[in-house]
Amino acid sequence: MTRPAPLLFLLLCLAAALSLHLGLRFYGPGTVWSALQGGTSTEEIIIRTLRVPRTLIGAVCGGALGLSGLLMQAVTRNPLAEPGLLGINAGAAFAVTLGLVGFAISAPLPVALLAVLGALATTALVFGIGLALGPTGGDGTVLLIGVTVAAMLGALTQVMLLMDETALETLLFWLSGGFADRPMTLLGVALPLLLLVLLACALLSGGIDALRLDDHSAQGIGVGVTRLRLIALVLAALLAALSVSLAGPVVFLGLVAPHIARRLTGPQHPFFGLAIITLLLGAIIAVLADILARVIVAPGEAPIGAVLALVGVPFLIHLLRRRRGGPA
Amino acid sequence: MSGPHLTRPGVPGTLAPRWRLPLLLMLLACGLVIATGLGTSFLSPTRVSAALIGAGSDMDEIIIWTLRLPRVALAVLAGMALALSGALMQRALRNPLAVPSILGVSDGAALGVVTFLYFFSNENNVLTVSIHWMPVAGVLGAIGLAAAIALLTAGDPRGRDPLRLILYGVALSALAKAAVVLMMILGPVYRAGQALRWLTGAVNAAHWSDVFVVAAGLALAVPVLLLLRLPMRQITLDPASARATGLGVEPTRAALLVLSVLLTALAVSQVGAIGFVGLIAPHAARIFHGQFSGGYLLSSAVMGGLLVLGADTLGRMALPPHELPAGAVTALLGTPVFLLLLLRRHHVTG
Repeated sequence: MTRPAPLLFLLLCLAAALSLHLGLRFYGPGTVWSALQGGTSTEEIIIRTLRVPRTLIGAVCGGALGLSGLLMQAVTRNPLAEPGLLGINAGAAFAVTLGLVGFAISAPLPVALLAVLGALATTALVFGIGLALGPTGGDGTVLLIGVTVAAMLGALTQVMLLMDETALETLLFWLSGGFADRPMTLLGVALPLLLLVLLACALLSGGIDALRLDDHSAQGIGVGVTRLRLIALVLAALLAALSVSLAGPVVFLGLVAPHIARRLTGPQHPFFGLAIITLLLGAIIAVLADILARVIVAPGEAPIGAVLALVGVPFLIHLLRRRRGGPA
Repeated sequence: MSGPHLTRPGVPGTLAPRWRLPLLLMLLACGLVIATGLGTSFLSPTRVSAALIGAGSDMDEIIIWTLRLPRVALAVLAGMALALSGALMQRALRNPLAVPSILGVSDGAALGVVTFLYFFSNENNVLTVSIHWMPVAGVLGAIGLAAAIALLTAGDPRGRDPLRLILYGVALSALAKAAVVLMMILGPVYRAGQALRWLTGAVNAAHWSDVFVVAAGLALAVPVLLLLRLPMRQITLDPASARATGLGVEPTRAALLVLSVLLTALAVSQVGAIGFVGLIAPHAARIFHGQFSGGYLLSSAVMGGLLVLGADTLGRMALPPHELPAGAVTALLGTPVFLLLLLRRHHVTG
């Protein structure tokens, strides 16, 4: 495969188009087209106010989570790093819940800021402990720390929700993760931010490529390893927080998308190209999973997290079973 | 609690070893009486004790025997089962971080229970078979998930590292959680309601029948544990030395793991998923009692009973009128302990 990116972009457009058509009721291409033109019949309003937002939010969140996972995996050399499994999404969700219960913060922008703070703090905690353990710990240990921290933050969130029943009603749906019925207001912030991070990836690309060597060699060719790692992790946390404030905590996307991207491109692909492909793949997977979530338990709606776990767990097991040094 | 100088047997501590177990048991008895007295109407320990020996007022006896005591007893017994399960698993894997709850055994039990509710309840919210089969379904689910983890680990190309066992557990428990969520949505709401009440992992709806089930399970485990006394000492050696002492390492490990899964499944099927007890209690017992002195398992069990009793009591007293699930309280306590253990283990070995 020479250049998968244009093909993936086409696939994303196709998935998005499908997402506008499929659902509890199937709408024909004519209806969808006139809805996008600004039609006012019931079907057209459904498409414009429900299906278009969830498709856009799904694509942006999927891209952000995929890129976040890729950044973490690249700079920590840990193939299991992923914002959901490492508890970073749980940290963002915890901060948002704390803000709502403790300080009645519910406007979209402050909520997003809180999510960023929570994600950054959790990233620092998990990778800090992982760093304190040193290389002897291995990839699995960081995952274990993350899962445990996520369990604690989940318990704390649960306790806060029990104390405040109005918060429970507001947040329960958001906390279960999903792309439907989310406010569009944040999308105007999220999309530019995602593009900015992508730009940063382009700037960091050379350094991150050098990190594929060991730290000493990277340092030798003039890469500030610690600084680069710090910047990349902050960016990753930012992306995770972004997607949490949009769609609630969503697991496994950040694990699956980068690994498929690596399969598609081969091991020596430059980081920036890999980042674009991961972004597209994450968006495609999220949109497809969202369609699946609408369809499999119709007329109900499955949480996106459950759908992704069904796909992601076999994937995680496959990664765990793979011998070290196999195809990347 | 005592300092770390008590961890090594033979080092003179502040408390003579033979007094440690009686002290723990006394603590448990006091805890039981106090926890029974606490509630919407406070009963003093003297009134509780009087009612317990049948000398209290009728009102007190009704409150205590039908309302408070089943819950308190269930908390203690479930805590004991969970702690024992953790101690056995840690012994079998020679890894102080192995915990049944992280291994996903409780999620397997949850899957079993939800599957049971899915198939055996009808539109009228009535079970088509006896409710007493529900714990059996939980136990079966837990065993199924544990077997899947064991198979994956046994077939692992990178070798049977205990850490990989835990990682497979993390993965499969995520799968079980997803399956539970999907089934609850697929099934109509009346099933979801039943399942949710159980899944939150609390001892609040305790009946004497639940208490008897856990007590009977624990009683059955005691003779098995007595039989395994010597092998459990031998397995603490490295595998080669253990073999040299005449131990079949693999069969012993398998037996301990099976017993551990059964104990967790028993507790979880009655009280829901209360995590981290199997981590904290054995560790506290290691510090307080010493891992290699006699009575370590009993000491772990009592610690576990105290822990869940404390968590449940704290949960219902901390923020009235709300009741925090005991599982949330143990998770809050358990995480720092787990992370500290990870860090300390690193300082010892690395």
